Amino acid sequence: MHQDRKLVFCDGSRIMIEALAGAGASVYIGYPITPANWLYAYASQRFPTFLAAPDEISALQWAAGFSSTGQLPVTATSFPGFALMLESLNMAFMMELPLVIILAQRLGPSTGSATTGAQGDLLLLRGAISGGHPLPVLCPADFIDCWHLAARAAVTARELRTPVVLLTSKEMIMTSRSFDLSLLPPIVQGQLPSFENNGSYLPYRAGESRVPPFLPVGNTRHQVRLNASTHDHSGLIRKDSPESLANTMRLREKIEQRVAEFTFYHYDAEGEADTLVVTYGISSDAAREAVSNLRARGEKVSLLILKTLIPIPPPVFQIFEQYAQLLFVEENLNGQLKELCFGQRSPSALRSLNKIGKMITPEEIVEEVMLCKQVF
Amino acid sequence: MQTSILNDKKAPYCPGCGHTVITHTIDKALAALEINPLDVVAVSDIGCCGLVDGLLNCHTVHGLHGRSVALATGIAYGLNHPGKKVLVIQGDGGATIGLQHLMEAARQNLDLTLIVQNNLLYGMTGGQISGLSPMQFKGERMPEVQDVPGFDICELAHRAGASLAARTFVGDSNFNELFRRAFQTEGFSLLEIVEPCPSHGIKKVLDLHRTADYPAVELRNERPPHRTAPRETTSLLDSLPLIRARFSSNLRQRLEIVIAGSAGEGVQSCGDLLAYAGATSGLYTTKKGAYPVTVGSGFSIAEVILSRDRICYTGIAAPGVMIIVSQDGYDAVKSRLGKDTYLLMDASLAPPPGHCVISGDFRKIGGKKGAALAAVAFWIGQTDLISIKALEAAAGMHRHGDKLVANIESASRISKREIMLEG
Repeated sequence: MHQDRKLVFCDGSRIMIEALAGAGASVYIGYPITPANWLYAYASQRFPTFLAAPDEISALQWAAGFSSTGQLPVTATSFPGFALMLESLNMAFMMELPLVIILAQRLGPSTGSATTGAQGDLLLLRGAISGGHPLPVLCPADFIDCWHLAARAAVTARELRTPVVLLTSKEMIMTSRSFDLSLLPPIVQGQLPSFENNGSYLPYRAGESRVPPFLPVGNTRHQVRLNASTHDHSGLIRKDSPESLANTMRLREKIEQRVAEFTFYHYDAEGEADTLVVTYGISSDAAREAVSNLRARGEKVSLLILKTLIPIPPPVFQIFEQYAQLLFVEENLNGQLKELCFGQRSPSALRSLNKIGKMITPEEIVEEVMLCKQVF
Repeated sequence: MQTSILNDKKAPYCPGCGHTVITHTIDKALAALEINPLDVVAVSDIGCCGLVDGLLNCHTVHGLHGRSVALATGIAYGLNHPGKKVLVIQGDGGATIGLQHLMEAARQNLDLTLIVQNNLLYGMTGGQISGLSPMQFKGERMPEVQDVPGFDICELAHRAGASLAARTFVGDSNFNELFRRAFQTEGFSLLEIVEPCPSHGIKKVLDLHRTADYPAVELRNERPPHRTAPRETTSLLDSLPLIRARFSSNLRQRLEIVIAGSAGEGVQSCGDLLAYAGATSGLYTTKKGAYPVTVGSGFSIAEVILSRDRICYTGIAAPGVMIIVSQDGYDAVKSRLGKDTYLLMDASLAPPPGHCVISGDFRKIGGKKGAALAAVAFWIGQTDLISIKALEAAAGMHRHGDKLVANIESASRISKREIMLEG
């Protein structure tokens, strides 16, 4: 333990909200829901503007309104609230309005168990945008991620002009730890691509960056048109003109072509290992501990913790190809990350460890890895 | 300065549609007030009324069906500028989909103007009746007939607190003037404009009054608009107390402790204090809570891990120590009791058969809200894994510190003789 450490006892919610505020998010709009209540409470202390919305549809609409004026809003919810936000999320995506949604997963379906953690919403997010467009999703695996990825979510939202989801779960944001704050890296603030030249302004005309420059509504230089319907560069409804369809396709391209800017994963490779444990979010701690225990027993095993979940960054597939056996560890019934990566009929070299209602334990992962090795 | 918010494009509405008249009236009213078009943000809803964007020189935001008032709420708050005019254009369908947003904007008395273009039906989808259709009304091509009274949205908005809620009919004598007054109003102004729909509904203005027997109203509340200004805040991390390892610990192995009691009895804060005390004793610590969705009833469980090594996984499968101070807590954790679990229970609880239990009158010593802490203090005193001083120091930082420290002192003075060993 080094001399300059700043040891505190705190939880992931606090770190996440502080990071978002530090990254320049200025507005929090929310409706409380378990297990996101601590985020709400911290935000009410920390954000320069805090508004209590009467429901989650209002929360996201208000957030989109703030975003259109150039501010970066944040909200936090869980599945029932997120379901209400879905249409408004599509609106913000289509209008290209930056905002950050923290989705704190809990056990579903429906209202499920509010105070039980889960990892059941990943495929929901993959299909959240009508048309199959990718919605950037970052998922913290530890407290340093709660800081770093929260800030990067803000940066990505701004620089790509898009809603970004920070996917987490009860166990990450409602568990307290003794933690050394000096481990947290400095935060970099992203910038909205702004319109600086004196020519005419078309709100959806994008250059090579694939992201159109932003001007806030209410500015006195240029007319701004924002539109949730299929639109041309000027922001006016055009049902199926080549320009408007190209604009709709660009919304996908800007995320997929620039995914390297928000690619995050932790790859702990063990030489000669033939088995790779793949996990994310709240199952990461158990996986880390399991891999450490296995190595202590002389077993060769590698670990990949994904932190950018949508889109899956291309290097991840290159890592997969290096292993004969992949074990996906997820606190859900159906192996959502596995399905996201490989579809419903996954190759036989893939195994899944799934569970609901309780956290997956290191012992269960160890057991499953040993089974993988036997099968192999 | 350009004063018209209208460009020279032809309105896309059917001949004789009230929307055309309203659009021109909005323009005239804003021009009369010399409002710069780029100081205007027009938020349009879905439906025929939402086709207005293309006619406008001001900023335009075209959102979702029924959500335009909520979207405009965010814009008005975000602009936070009395010189900017936020204008919402919505039909009767949008107004009823988003009635909650309308009520909320009126309640907050947000500085925006909402024009509800009430043509008595859903025009774009074929002329179905709406929540603002009058009794016995039916669209020309639809079989359904309105058989319940429509909402009086002016009355609703007025009761909710809108600065202005007014209803008028296209072509009425006060028509132009009413728009001007709405735009001059500080706070939420709602204009419900009853108008014809030549394709599906009432075709002539004269027939409108006969069918829609709504009263023309102009209702006012004298109250300022709600605004929000950004405030200065400070770091959530800088306010945390820095932990110095000033106590020592005899702990050798990772120890997992479950404290179980009832909601509202201080179980969670007890877990926090134990974990904090562990951290000030040079240990890595974690704490998590488990409880049902109820707030003041049911079980409450705090799970604490103390370790010399960095803690990765924070779950507890088979706890080394269980401290149980209520029946709710016992019922919730009894299935996790292992044969080697060190079990400390309140004396009021029936111990599990065949298990070694240390019991004490923790509920009597600490009271209902202090039983968990009394039991933890006793346990620390018995095991000496961390110093009782560490727990006292942690408790001293609590807002009820004196009381908690006194509780710890009382509990740590319990002699072993008072403890009953069973099993």
